Amino acid sequence: MIEVSELRKRFGPVLALDGMSFTVEPGQVTGLVGPNGAGKSTTMRVILGLDAPDAGTALIGGQPYRSLRRPLTHVGALLDAAALQPSRSARNHLLWLAHSQGLTAKRVDEVVGLSGLETAVRRKAGGYSLGMRQRLGIAAALLGDPPVLMLDEPFNGMDPEGIIWMREFLRSLAAEGRAVMVSSHLMGELQDTADHVIVVGRGRVIADASVTELIARVSGGQVLVRTTMLDRAMRVLNGAGAQVAATGPNTLAVTGARPDQVTTLLSRNAVHFSEVSAHRATLEDAYMDLTRDAVEFRAGLSEHVR
Amino acid sequence: MRHAPLETQLPLGTRYTETGHTLHAEWTKARTAGGTFWLLLGVIVATVALGAVVSAATKCSSATCGQDPAKVSLAGLYLGQAVVAVTAVLAIGGEYGTGMILVTLTAVPRRSTMLAAKAAILTGSLLVAATIAVLGSVLAGRLLLPGNGFTTAHGYQLLSLTDGPYLRAAVGSVLYLVLIGLLGLGIATAIRDSAVAVGVVLGLLYLFPVLEAAVSSSSWHRHLEQISPMTAGLAVQATSSLASSPISPWAGLGVLAAWAAGALLVGALVLRLRDA
Amino acid sequence: MIITPYQSRFREGSYRFTDLLHAEWTKFRTVRGWIIGVVVGALVVAAFAFVTGQQGSCNVSACTGPLGPGGEQVSDSFYFVHQPLTGNGSITARVTSLTGQVPTLTQGPGMRPGLVPWAKAGIIIKASTTPGSAYAAMMVTGSHGVRMQDDFTQDVAGLPGAVSATTPRWLRLTRSGDTVTGYDSADGTHWTRVDTVTLAGLPSTAQVGLFATSPGFLQTSLGEASASGGPSTATGVFDKIDLTWSGGSWAGTDVGGGGGGPTPGFTQTASTFSITGSGDIAPSVSSSGGVTIAETLVGTFAGLIVLVVVGAMFMTAEYRRRLIATTLIAAPRRGHVLAAKAVVTGVVSFVAGLVGAGLAVLLGQRVLRDDGVYLFPADALTQVRVIVGTAAVLALSAVIALAIGVILRRGVGAVAAAVVVIVLPYLLTVTAPILPIGLNDWLLRVTPTSAFAVQQTLIQYPQVDNTYSASYGYYPLSPWAGLAVLCAWTALALGLAAYLLRRRDA
Repeated sequence: MIEVSELRKRFGPVLALDGMSFTVEPGQVTGLVGPNGAGKSTTMRVILGLDAPDAGTALIGGQPYRSLRRPLTHVGALLDAAALQPSRSARNHLLWLAHSQGLTAKRVDEVVGLSGLETAVRRKAGGYSLGMRQRLGIAAALLGDPPVLMLDEPFNGMDPEGIIWMREFLRSLAAEGRAVMVSSHLMGELQDTADHVIVVGRGRVIADASVTELIARVSGGQVLVRTTMLDRAMRVLNGAGAQVAATGPNTLAVTGARPDQVTTLLSRNAVHFSEVSAHRATLEDAYMDLTRDAVEFRAGLSEHVR
Repeated sequence: MRHAPLETQLPLGTRYTETGHTLHAEWTKARTAGGTFWLLLGVIVATVALGAVVSAATKCSSATCGQDPAKVSLAGLYLGQAVVAVTAVLAIGGEYGTGMILVTLTAVPRRSTMLAAKAAILTGSLLVAATIAVLGSVLAGRLLLPGNGFTTAHGYQLLSLTDGPYLRAAVGSVLYLVLIGLLGLGIATAIRDSAVAVGVVLGLLYLFPVLEAAVSSSSWHRHLEQISPMTAGLAVQATSSLASSPISPWAGLGVLAAWAAGALLVGALVLRLRDA
Repeated sequence: MIITPYQSRFREGSYRFTDLLHAEWTKFRTVRGWIIGVVVGALVVAAFAFVTGQQGSCNVSACTGPLGPGGEQVSDSFYFVHQPLTGNGSITARVTSLTGQVPTLTQGPGMRPGLVPWAKAGIIIKASTTPGSAYAAMMVTGSHGVRMQDDFTQDVAGLPGAVSATTPRWLRLTRSGDTVTGYDSADGTHWTRVDTVTLAGLPSTAQVGLFATSPGFLQTSLGEASASGGPSTATGVFDKIDLTWSGGSWAGTDVGGGGGGPTPGFTQTASTFSITGSGDIAPSVSSSGGVTIAETLVGTFAGLIVLVVVGAMFMTAEYRRRLIATTLIAAPRRGHVLAAKAVVTGVVSFVAGLVGAGLAVLLGQRVLRDDGVYLFPADALTQVRVIVGTAAVLALSAVIALAIGVILRRGVGAVAAAVVVIVLPYLLTVTAPILPIGLNDWLLRVTPTSAFAVQQTLIQYPQVDNTYSASYGYYPLSPWAGLAVLCAWTALALGLAAYLLRRRDA
């Protein structure tokens, strides 16, 4: 479990963290999302004892990171997959990390198996592709079999097969009872991977809720119509009292009418259409909404879901 | 709406050669890198500081004290050359370290042109810094040496740049620092790793004298002194007892120039033949 | 849903510093470039021992000088006017004058009147006329007054002041078994005991008599960077010679084949003797030619630069790749991380230094002797001290480079700073001494270069004039004191590095 409370950190003129507070619970995947510069990486670095905050605390299982003995058995972190000595083999990179926690080469081979790097692990790390480096980073994070995992942008550079593997892997780790925190700005990925999302912006938390709750807030009940007879469809629907907006050369977004009502209206007025569907919001929509209306929403939603 | 091809949008009559562009790019790189100014300042401070210390500490008690005021006042080069070596190595080593060399070589695929431009900008910057450094050392020597017994009574004139041999020593010292820079640039281009390169450069400079001191056989000793980049190069500073100097002043500087040219040649070859 | 929090399979077990050490060693040995660097460093130290380019004209027997009773190399040449003494007895003499000749050097060939400070004339009891044999002597000197010296290394002061016809000096030596006592007097009536010495194994028949000698004349300039000199002579005039046994006839012997000065010998007018000799009765010093063991370790600097590069890169490579974050996540106790890195760097460099220096000293000596170079002898313990000391200097230098790597975070800067701080002072003070003596001395006491005193094997003797400067193998600090200075610098650098490592964001 990770507990972050009122973190503040300034880098020169830039206020990176401005009262950041949240908790990451075990047994689920928590996504940390926010625009660039929102403070995601800085928060993770503060949690891991790399950067000292100007104020506030960050605790792992109730203890500050720097007081942990054998910290990799408490937290496994992937911050920067490229932080490797190019002339050292991947296996040796894992080996020295293992040695620093009193673990052996046997453990190294176990995590290599978990991350699927068996064939490439004796090659020099300098020759690794982006995706391989990510897998190596996951392997390193798992060396100490930690109950808490913190991963910064783990999907970067993964091919589609790798993304599916990563998603399943992270969910299985959470199902074992671990607290898994993933920071990302690939909303599509996070929607399928995370159970809980913390939205941050400008150094503070904007929203802290489960994925389903966030999406439900923003769905708004829109109906999507695909038709070639745009003008006629708009006249018909406007005439029935719905709000219509054109979202493309052949698509309309209709608010204020149910899908069956829209179908009936269009067919009765001989407007040909190829698709009428209920618009389901995505996490991305929720995110865009939240970070746009940052101030108002924070007050409303964050009280509601605690 | 179709856009006109880019070429016709350039104003006619402004024709820059590729070399000119490359030079301009290297100059911009050099003047906007944060450390360049401080390193060049470091060259000046190091040279003047050591020169002043040596000038203040060296005393001449009689007419036969055998000291060479040029070598004394310009002794700061022993330290200044180390800072010059760092500056030169970073000029290209820094690009390899950060990976920016890839960007540079895609912008200027003619690699020898790029190296030549770097050498030119480095030479210009070092000329300015070295001139200030040497002038500062001359001033310090002028102020400090007469008080230590370097007076007309003991056969020494007040240090002045109108004095032929002393002017040669000063100009030669400026050129010495520039050549050290080119030596460093060549070695760093060949070796690519800044830390190793600066180790090699400083080793070349400082190890020859150690070896010379260890060799007793006088012919070996003399030959070593004649080919050593630092010892031969610093011969340009000698204004007295020239007969006991292992090599004549300008010939000594020529030896250093040969070392620098050789290093640049090797560097250029490595640059051309290897993957970036 | 109640989630049971996960627990690591490895949660048992506590933090151990040895784990950090293990990790740092693994880090070091898995980068091929660093291993190669260390090996090259050791090889380079050894390699220079074989290419010193020295040439000499000695073969072993011809060049080895005499050894004194204590085993040290000595000069033992003087003009001896002597007769045998069996059993106990005493010799007394009055010296009325001591004059000499020194070479004119730059003003042309030939000699001019002059007395070197340690010119000697007096009375002596010596085991035999073989150079290097035990002795005790009372003498007047050029500018150090009356002295009693014995067995080459001992020296005690007597009456001060120069000797002349109006201020003569009376000298007496009394032998009783193995014990010899020396006395001096200004008037022949009131005697002062100067010292009592024991000459172990003094034979019952010893040679006793008068002597004169004069060590080489030295002129230095340019802050002792340049020395010139040549042989000198001294002439002592003796009278009122008194022996407590029934003496025989006097014999004149030029012991040790002379010191190179012109016309040694003696003349006797009634009971006045005038003796002229040149040379010295003293331990050998470096100006008499030859090299020390440190000659085989010329490669120390090349090895030092290589190991400094490795030491700096061991640290700065982590900064360059942001690996430092990974290291500090695995081991948040930053002081311990630095300590572990320093230990690994130091031990690896020490071992490399031991191998390199060991090879250089042991094999290099043979090479030098084969080339006919005269090597000042050094006993086994001294050689071990030189080898271990050199390895320690290399190790500490690599650790300093590591610490500077933390401070500056750039490899270039760390290497340049470490080389400048350690090698440049050596260059300025030892190899190309351009600095005046005062500054030279200070630099060799205060900068990390003082640690090169571990390589010195020659001892400074106050009773011998010599250019006792570092370029001739004499350092102002003793070997272990010099090494201690370097240790202090290393501790300082590590302290600053630890402070910065803790305070900075990673």
